[in-house]
Amino acid sequence: MKKLIVGTIVIALAAAMGLSGSVSAQDKYPSKPISGIVPASAGGSTDLMSRAIEKVWPKYSSQPLVVVNKPGGAGVVATEFVVRSKPDGYTLYLGYGSGHDIVMPHLQKMPYDPYKDLVPIARISVHSVVVVTGAKSDFNSLPDMIAWSKKENKPITSSVSMKAGAQDITITAISKAAGVNIVTVPFAGGADAVTALAGGHVMLGAGHPSEVAPHIKAGRFKPLAVALPQRDPSLPNVPTLKELGINVSTWGSVKGVGAPAATPKEVVAYLEATLKKVTEDEEFKKIMADLDQPVMYLNGADFAKFLQEAHADYGKLIKELNITIQ
Amino acid sequence: MGIFDGIISGFFIALTPMNLMFGFLGALIGTAVGVLPGLGPAATIALLLPITYSISSPVPAVILMAGIYYGAMYGGSTTSILLNLPGEAASVVTCIDGYKMAQKGQAGPALGIAAIGSFIAGSVAVVGLTLFAPPIAEFALGFGPPEKFSLALLGLLMAVTLSGESVTKGLIIMVLGLLFGSVGIDPISGKSRFDFGVIELQSGFDFVTLAVGVFGLGEIFYNLEQEGNVEIVTTKVGKVFPAMADWVKSRMAILRGTLIGFFIGIIPGGGAVISSLVSYAVEKKVSKHPEEFGQGAIEGVAGPESANNAASSSSFIPLLTLGIPGNASIAMIFACLLIKGVKPGPFLIVEHPDVFWGVIASMYVGNIMLIILNLPLVGVWVQLLRVPYGILAPVVILFTAIGSYSIANQAFDLYALIAFGVLGYVLRKLKFEAGPLPLAFILGPMIEGSMRQSLLMSGGNFLIFVTRPISLTIVAVFALFVVGQAVFAIRRAKRSAGVQAAV
Repeated sequence: MKKLIVGTIVIALAAAMGLSGSVSAQDKYPSKPISGIVPASAGGSTDLMSRAIEKVWPKYSSQPLVVVNKPGGAGVVATEFVVRSKPDGYTLYLGYGSGHDIVMPHLQKMPYDPYKDLVPIARISVHSVVVVTGAKSDFNSLPDMIAWSKKENKPITSSVSMKAGAQDITITAISKAAGVNIVTVPFAGGADAVTALAGGHVMLGAGHPSEVAPHIKAGRFKPLAVALPQRDPSLPNVPTLKELGINVSTWGSVKGVGAPAATPKEVVAYLEATLKKVTEDEEFKKIMADLDQPVMYLNGADFAKFLQEAHADYGKLIKELNITIQ
Repeated sequence: MGIFDGIISGFFIALTPMNLMFGFLGALIGTAVGVLPGLGPAATIALLLPITYSISSPVPAVILMAGIYYGAMYGGSTTSILLNLPGEAASVVTCIDGYKMAQKGQAGPALGIAAIGSFIAGSVAVVGLTLFAPPIAEFALGFGPPEKFSLALLGLLMAVTLSGESVTKGLIIMVLGLLFGSVGIDPISGKSRFDFGVIELQSGFDFVTLAVGVFGLGEIFYNLEQEGNVEIVTTKVGKVFPAMADWVKSRMAILRGTLIGFFIGIIPGGGAVISSLVSYAVEKKVSKHPEEFGQGAIEGVAGPESANNAASSSSFIPLLTLGIPGNASIAMIFACLLIKGVKPGPFLIVEHPDVFWGVIASMYVGNIMLIILNLPLVGVWVQLLRVPYGILAPVVILFTAIGSYSIANQAFDLYALIAFGVLGYVLRKLKFEAGPLPLAFILGPMIEGSMRQSLLMSGGNFLIFVTRPISLTIVAVFALFVVGQAVFAIRRAKRSAGVQAAV
């Protein structure tokens, strides 16, 4: 038994040393595996997108991209980790543009500047917010439900994934634009919020296509509207809120790739070009379609512009709706 | 395709050499992960996800992952019994009587009954999964915030039964657990609480860090003080397999635990934990000698261990039939399927019958593999107690540290682990039973969150908890329990008063 335990320790130490094996700096980039830090736990939509990249990446790069989940502090821990890591292109931020980059800075102080401290490499996808109701609901459209609420003077209850998240902001914006009383019930994440609607415990719900599309297909949810300026490519038959006469559109949940601000230009260019090839890969497109995540590639420069606009716009919306987390 | 044809075709898939190998690999890794303190199934499955990319078909990949998940449930009882180290939330209850049994030299029977109970519960639950998956899934959906509130409150009440000799001390520990549970971002208001400016605290403490720290490290710190004269090591190892008397005592506990675990386990989020608690409380209530509980009662190991294994099988029901992952490990299996282009949900059985039936059939096979793997190993694990403490303790600390770090890949959890170890040591010194701490830690946020969600749904009306049938039933059980305890206490007080008057 003693031998077994000593052996185990030796193996563990050897494994630890193998993982941290150093590579000389002169080698051409990339000369060792690249860490892709995901600001969420495994199994969520950002993680799934990252795993799709991880799977296809080796086709276009000599070194693998390895997904590392750092779910702490609602994503802030992971982003700060990337911001403070060596800007050598071996630590990337997967999911750049998430709620804690474009929404949270308007609500609380961040330990870094999500725009100045990071360089955008590419946008991979945009997850829209889809407004849905249960299949057993009496209502087949959002205007019907709103008319009922006004006539009966009863509030509409809606599950949202978290307070002040993209879903909460969208539903609150609908409430304000349509002049109707909607009570948002926050849950601890998208899966919980979707489950509450599936059980018929609330009247309305909202989620990303990856969360609600399987239930729409299963006939458990009726899609009512998409909160984007245009229709979502993954749900082409669902009208936008604007088409329904409700003047609300948001930027959705943006998922891109970033790196520490001081990362060398040629490294950023390599990553940008490789990600472009990945997003054009047939296998990647198929996985993303299966995940109900539309591939919406933008290069680094365009993604930077897009992020600035989305960030500014969310700021205006939050002020208008008077959303705070105090 | 009917259920019968389905499961037969499933066995044809599960019994191909390749799938058998993956099933065995899963059971083996799962057992190892369960036995290694602090290393959990969720972290292991996450680590192994990239390996499944290269497996061409989704079936072996899921068989492997599922094997790790329920294999870890089998192995989890080992460290709880031998080292007072709960690997996951559902094993906390096992520590209480299991560790006491080990200290009395009955580690073998405790491990044996845990394995046998797990096998029976796991197999029965898979039969339940085969026959009743779809209707039961609809029942699980009926659990909205008000039902979850009532159930979690009932769970908290059951946790009082773990409080040992002093109920006052139990309540103090429980409040401490609730307090730790409230650290981090509150999902309802979005506000971060008790984070003292530390970003890592915004996501709260991790359960494994808390439980392994308070129980395992606390125990080690306490033992180190005993100047090389540690009791658990010097006690005789004793017999290895449960005697007939143990089996007679445990069989009803296993049966009840299986049923409780199967039904409560399907509720997404916290089902397994609550089922092990409810099972323990039920066993203590129906026992003719409740005073033995907390002192090494074998029913206190058999019931909850059966419950958490049945729950681990039934927690596949919401995933396979509704596409709703109920806990972190199941979410990882969900991710694995999605990457392979298989969407779990109501269409799974139609679109991918090979996955649906193959996985279910593999669970029958897996349970048999696990009992074959685990029963002979009982003797080996018991020998572990002979390892000098000076070697065992650092190895355990090393593994708990690796386990804690692997949860979120952050060093902060290591500091938290040590701090919880010190807390566990202090509690041990002051003769507190720590059992309710991790349970209150899990149940607190459930109670608070679902209560506020319910009140948002009802516009502030508290009647929502008693106007919905499922919630009303649970509230009634809760009330019966409280009233029953009160009547019992008053009677006892009167009787002792009468005795005194007579004297």
